[in-house]
Amino acid sequence: MERVAVVGVGNTSFKARHIDKTFPRLAYEACKMAMEDAGAGKEDIESVVYSIYNDFFEHCAMPDHHIHYLLGFARKPGSRVTTGGATGGYSVRAAFAEVASGLHDVVMVVGVEKVADLANVIEMVKSITFAADPFFEYQLGASPAGSYGAAIRWHMENYGTTEEDMARVVVKNKGNARLNPDAQSPIELTVSDVLKSPMVIYPLKILDHCLNSEGAAAIILASEKAAKRFRKDPVWITGIGASTESGRQAERDYSDASLFPAVRNSALSAYRMAGISDPSEAIHVAEVYDSFSGVEICLYEELGFCSWGEGTAFLKDGMADIGGKIPVNPSGGLIGCEHAIGATGIYQVVEVVRHIRGEAGDRQVSGAMRGIAQSMGGARGAYSVCIVLEG
Amino acid sequence: MPEETDLRFKPISYKDDFVIVPDRWKVDFMVSMGELSVFFRELKENAKLMGTRCPKCGSFYFWPRSWCHDCYEDCQWVEVSQKGSVTMFSRVDISLSDLQKEVPFYQGGVHLDGVRYPIVALIKNVTMDTLHKGMRVRAEFLPLQERTGRIRDFYFVPDV
Repeated sequence: MERVAVVGVGNTSFKARHIDKTFPRLAYEACKMAMEDAGAGKEDIESVVYSIYNDFFEHCAMPDHHIHYLLGFARKPGSRVTTGGATGGYSVRAAFAEVASGLHDVVMVVGVEKVADLANVIEMVKSITFAADPFFEYQLGASPAGSYGAAIRWHMENYGTTEEDMARVVVKNKGNARLNPDAQSPIELTVSDVLKSPMVIYPLKILDHCLNSEGAAAIILASEKAAKRFRKDPVWITGIGASTESGRQAERDYSDASLFPAVRNSALSAYRMAGISDPSEAIHVAEVYDSFSGVEICLYEELGFCSWGEGTAFLKDGMADIGGKIPVNPSGGLIGCEHAIGATGIYQVVEVVRHIRGEAGDRQVSGAMRGIAQSMGGARGAYSVCIVLEG
Repeated sequence: MPEETDLRFKPISYKDDFVIVPDRWKVDFMVSMGELSVFFRELKENAKLMGTRCPKCGSFYFWPRSWCHDCYEDCQWVEVSQKGSVTMFSRVDISLSDLQKEVPFYQGGVHLDGVRYPIVALIKNVTMDTLHKGMRVRAEFLPLQERTGRIRDFYFVPDV
């Protein structure tokens, strides 16, 4: 298997609405930045993988197709991946496979999402819930928050996690976003602000949610041989793991400690591939899928940053802060940057690469040589991908 | 929807220098339930919950599966117990679905007696104070004339 490097990264800002740009334009801007960052030209790109979650968001059932020729790639291979919130991670995996297998030497991954073209938030949530089980469960009021709320309640009941603990995640991530010029929600908040926001699905209040966002991100992957043609500080993908769980979340077995078995499995396979035995020592920076505040606490455990039930202590002890043992979501994560779904998983890789290169500006994690990007999607993380990156 | 509110017929609008084109996707379906038809027919006509059993390993599925994903054998229809236990739950205060008219409502996992997996279901006549893991519940059905053969023809209530 060929070694695979990230040789170029780029992203637009994340905004509630890019009213001045169509989705192909957002994709173009991220691609152009990634190419300039790599020192690559359009002719260097052999194949493109598009990370675009939802046809309704783009107002088009084949959005990738229309970006591809507008980018000038007609007659080159192009394909799209869509796996809910894990769309970005699975897209990187597809492009990784193209390079690792020797099929191509240079592959670009482009993630983009427009969402505010949907007329209002009801139409947006409706578009997401069309992904529910279409035979039995789709009329039961399924929602993204609903799919995570019950799991978070389990964590509260079994480990004593509180709403206040979860609010700390929001304060941290919106605070980190203040150091990220591309983030949508750089807001200074207190725990009390979060606790006072309206309840949506117990225990998740409005401020415990990430919001939808618009934006694009792109990365360029290259084989070891081809990487020599581009910038001199490639960041290597040394581990990539993917997994799934039942799309009917009630079917999942709670007898195991893992609330997100797909995340656990994807992390274990990524660590195995990267030769990591103790992630709590090996990982220096992490971008994870904090779609809801309480989820991030669970992810510390699922990703092996701490033991089962220790996620809240990990947070309270400042281990996840910039400057902590494993800074988690220094970009602001989904809660700070907000969630441009297809772009999010790509942007997580962009962010980790910048930390490893030492290019993360005011939020730079010092000494970050190895990081992880984790995205998940479907009802309560039915898909998950973990990507280990090293300088 | 009356034509005048259909966004497809509204003129463009402007925000700053940019044009907004109102649009609407309208897509109707007539969905074939195929090999799952027995479930919906029995629900509507007889207020019965039908599951399926694998003839090889004995796994009892509800929601019904027409084949066993372990054995790759075709399953057989069997009526399921209408009683079970709550596995997890949450209270919905804001729903962006048509269930908004019923908030707050309670969703949870319900594990019917004898079947392999819990299902997601609506639970009524409960509060966060009375709901608990392991709570015994039973299915309740809408009256025949109100049942439409859809999943909301039944829900769960405490089995007291």
